[in-house]
Amino acid sequence: MSVRASTRPSIIATAILVLGALYCLLPVAWVVVASTKSAGELFSTLTFLPSTHLLDNIAELVAYRDGLFWRWMANTALYAGVGGALSAIVSAMAGYALAKYQFAGKAAVFNVLLAGVLVPGVVLAIPQYLMLAQVELTNTYWAVLLPSIISPYGIYLARIYAAAAVPDEVVEAARTDGAGELRTFAQVAVPMMLPGLVTVFLFQFVAIWNNFMLPYIMLGDDRLFPITVGLSGLLNQGASQPAMYTLVITGALLSVIPLVALFLLLQRFWQVDLAAGAVKA
Amino acid sequence: MTTTNDLAGALGGTAPSRTTQVPRRSRTVPARRAAAPWAFLAPAIVLFVAFLAAPILYSLYLSFRTEKVSGLGLGPGSRTEVWNGLTNYTSALADPEFLASVGRVGMYGLVVVPVMLGSALLFALLLDARRSRARRFSRIAIFLPYAVPAVISSLLWGFLYLPGVSPFYWVFDQLGWDVPSLFSNRLVLFAVANIAVWGGVGFNMVVIYTALKAIPSELYEAAELDGASQVGIALRVKIPIVLPSIIMTFVFSMIATLQVFAEPTTLRPLSNTISTTWTPLMKVYRDAFTRGDLYSASATSVIIAVATFVLSLGFLRLVQSRAFGQENNR
Amino acid sequence: MRLTTGTKVAAAVAATALLATACSSGGTGGDSADGEAVELTFWAWAPNIEKVVDVWNSEHPDIQVTVNKQDGGDPAVTKLLTAIEAGSGAPDLMQAEYQKIPQLVSSGALADIAGEISGELAGHFPDGVWNAVTLGSDAVYAVPQDSGPMQFYYREDVFAELGLEVPTTWEEYAEVARAVHAADPNTYLGTFSANDAGWFSGLTQQAGASWYGIDGDSWTVQIDSPEVQKVAGYWGGLVEEGIIDNKPMYTPEWNAALNDGSQVGWLSAIWAPGVLAGNAADTAGTWKMAPMPQWDAAAPATGNWGGSATAVTSQSEHAAEATQFIEWLNTDPAAVQALVDETGIYPADIPASTAALADPPAFFSNQPDFYELAAETAQTANPFTYGPNINVAYSAYNDEFAKATEARTQAAFLAAVEAVQTATIEDLKNSGFSVKE
Repeated sequence: MSVRASTRPSIIATAILVLGALYCLLPVAWVVVASTKSAGELFSTLTFLPSTHLLDNIAELVAYRDGLFWRWMANTALYAGVGGALSAIVSAMAGYALAKYQFAGKAAVFNVLLAGVLVPGVVLAIPQYLMLAQVELTNTYWAVLLPSIISPYGIYLARIYAAAAVPDEVVEAARTDGAGELRTFAQVAVPMMLPGLVTVFLFQFVAIWNNFMLPYIMLGDDRLFPITVGLSGLLNQGASQPAMYTLVITGALLSVIPLVALFLLLQRFWQVDLAAGAVKA
Repeated sequence: MTTTNDLAGALGGTAPSRTTQVPRRSRTVPARRAAAPWAFLAPAIVLFVAFLAAPILYSLYLSFRTEKVSGLGLGPGSRTEVWNGLTNYTSALADPEFLASVGRVGMYGLVVVPVMLGSALLFALLLDARRSRARRFSRIAIFLPYAVPAVISSLLWGFLYLPGVSPFYWVFDQLGWDVPSLFSNRLVLFAVANIAVWGGVGFNMVVIYTALKAIPSELYEAAELDGASQVGIALRVKIPIVLPSIIMTFVFSMIATLQVFAEPTTLRPLSNTISTTWTPLMKVYRDAFTRGDLYSASATSVIIAVATFVLSLGFLRLVQSRAFGQENNR
Repeated sequence: MRLTTGTKVAAAVAATALLATACSSGGTGGDSADGEAVELTFWAWAPNIEKVVDVWNSEHPDIQVTVNKQDGGDPAVTKLLTAIEAGSGAPDLMQAEYQKIPQLVSSGALADIAGEISGELAGHFPDGVWNAVTLGSDAVYAVPQDSGPMQFYYREDVFAELGLEVPTTWEEYAEVARAVHAADPNTYLGTFSANDAGWFSGLTQQAGASWYGIDGDSWTVQIDSPEVQKVAGYWGGLVEEGIIDNKPMYTPEWNAALNDGSQVGWLSAIWAPGVLAGNAADTAGTWKMAPMPQWDAAAPATGNWGGSATAVTSQSEHAAEATQFIEWLNTDPAAVQALVDETGIYPADIPASTAALADPPAFFSNQPDFYELAAETAQTANPFTYGPNINVAYSAYNDEFAKATEARTQAAFLAAVEAVQTATIEDLKNSGFSVKE
């Protein structure tokens, strides 16, 4: 087969890709259609037959308890945005230290940091609650923010990026020029690591956004809820209340839009190299 | 709460051996330089101790304790916390429901991990192949489910599964086919697995695709000139090079599998076939939250954490000795 | 040397971080300096209850109540118990379902407010309801808010079309179920839901069962009593025969079935109109309510499903003010009227409810005597005792009856009863409760 022939479109390859894309889009398409239906139509009309009630549903969602939905969205942005940013900073510092310094106990620190996360979030939530309750921080923004900052995975990625993107010679040169350790890190290393740090930020952003158990346990006041906990509450109203499916579906659609926008804007940063060290070796 | 934390977990014992650099020059360093790494590490260490290590140790402590009630248990002070030795562990390991949930998760993992990683690898290779079209669209579409929290995606799939509201069953009905419910005992495992595959394939695809893109194009252009087919290049050139990435995604997926929780928990009220102890973590949740027995829940979670650790470490050791052992010896 | 420097830096950073977070956390509980209003937090899930609370707040500037909306029932209890375990973080006030009260009391979550209530409070409520908040003792753990007597809801139009009479006995119910299913194999008179333990316990309550009892200083568990066996066997028979559906309630599929008329009846409680209106608004005017089918037509009875009380938690530092508020909320005529109008509950308070329930719910405007009939059925509720591990019994119900409904045999239903009994009594014993068998 010649090189020219190899750029000819392949029907099979394209078909497989498109099929995969359709499979992934199917539930999304369902949400889009379902969010246009009234509560009655949701259960009585053909699934993929759109209706005309999208604006009504949005209006109802926005009116729910004086705009609580927007508050949930803002909370989510706060938890995921601030938490993700802090996490990227903490990870960058730790990853840089682990990649660019030799010191006693380095391997031990790294191993312990990483091993900690073998315990799933469901298990951590209660002890975290009991401990935060000791300092009266439960049911505050801190209760969700603080535990979200530490990301062993982020540290791991940051270490890979620091090792790969920041040459030792550059660090040495900065030091020879008389720059302090902190200045070397902030002004020399961070700009080089920046694309990787954006990935760490995005990764932790999604992690916090998806984390249900932590805010669910920590928060009693629904004005502090992130969107996942808020929407799930609309479904679990107890036996004597109808589940608010239309609100939840519309809310799910609206809440995914900003995240999709973030993905599209920053998609070139979604380059997760899990094994850079190994490839180099 | 599923994929994210879990992914990180895998890295446990593995990463150091891959990224620790060979000590370069040993020489004396000024004290300020010596303190610097610790200063950089300090925030991470403090947060780690406060929000991971301390809660884990606390869980460990609780796992050896229990609460005893006296009499009717209605008056104040009728509950006391006492040591319980290994009883929480022995009763968890002897609990048939727990053992059944472990077996179920094993089966579930055998379905999810190969299907998810196989599709992810296939899609990544196709994205990397010049003969594919619609690549940009497909990449975004397949990655999109990663943005949907498991709680919400399970709700969406739940709608698509229930024969009474599902478009698929409507179509089957029109065709006169009698298709068994996805929530039947035989199929429910696949119903849950599908949600995990849907949510995870995109992320793993991106990981593998990133590794594929890093391959210098001369490597396979040479093979192309030699007349190798695209499939042949994929099998003989590309896959071996991205193997380390595939191994890492495998470990992450395995850990995510062992910790499956959100999907079956969300689907449970829709069916009769998902019990409250369907997976090990659901049992932890039931014990801690429904039964208010933090002590048993802690013991079960310690067992899960240790098992995860042993499995991921064992797997990596195995892979390293097989795949990389020769390289290192050469 | 290097280590110590590092440790110092780490310690300094740690201290700063902790200090910063501790300082900026802000106060949560009620700090009531002299002359300042007492602030109470109230965990509740009844819809729109904050509007009723607003009435109180505008009339009582010195006692301000903030509602924190919760997920219905179970999650709120879970959170409360976690907060109690932690020693802080609990609200002052808590909406608690009757069946959860023994568990909450046993965990030390509720304050005994016997010393704070006014003398005539007990006279406001039916004896059975009052008993549920005192647990038969001298203590008072909550003030009843609403109750959930069970009735039979059915599609009047479908019954007329098929020429069916409203069943008054369980035997007739089975016949009607058979006729409905025979007319259209996709249609059922009802479903046996393995997901709703409260519903099943209400059905057994109607048959005269009580899952728990107190015998001296010990608990008894009678989930396998002949009455429960009778109810389980009856439903197992209907499911085995295939004339009653076996899918859980409160699923999208069940909603669709209510909408398209493939579920034409629902054994539910007094709050059913709200659920039907929310899930199947288009069927308004086609439903009617009747008393439950009976085991013994000569001695009509019913059970309860749902219903809740308002409690003061043991962490509240303002038990007196909190009690004052919950007495007002659940017995003041204006408050009860507001509860009915805003939250749609069926009040437990007898004196205020007659006036508050003059009109039928909008969804049942075709049945003007809705609340009169409901009041008649409410009086026939059988006594019932809940135990301190009802959470265990209910979760065992979910698992065991899920298997039974999936198996679709009467024998499996009876086995499920035994399994729930065993799980419940084993858990009581393991926890150290005194149990008499």
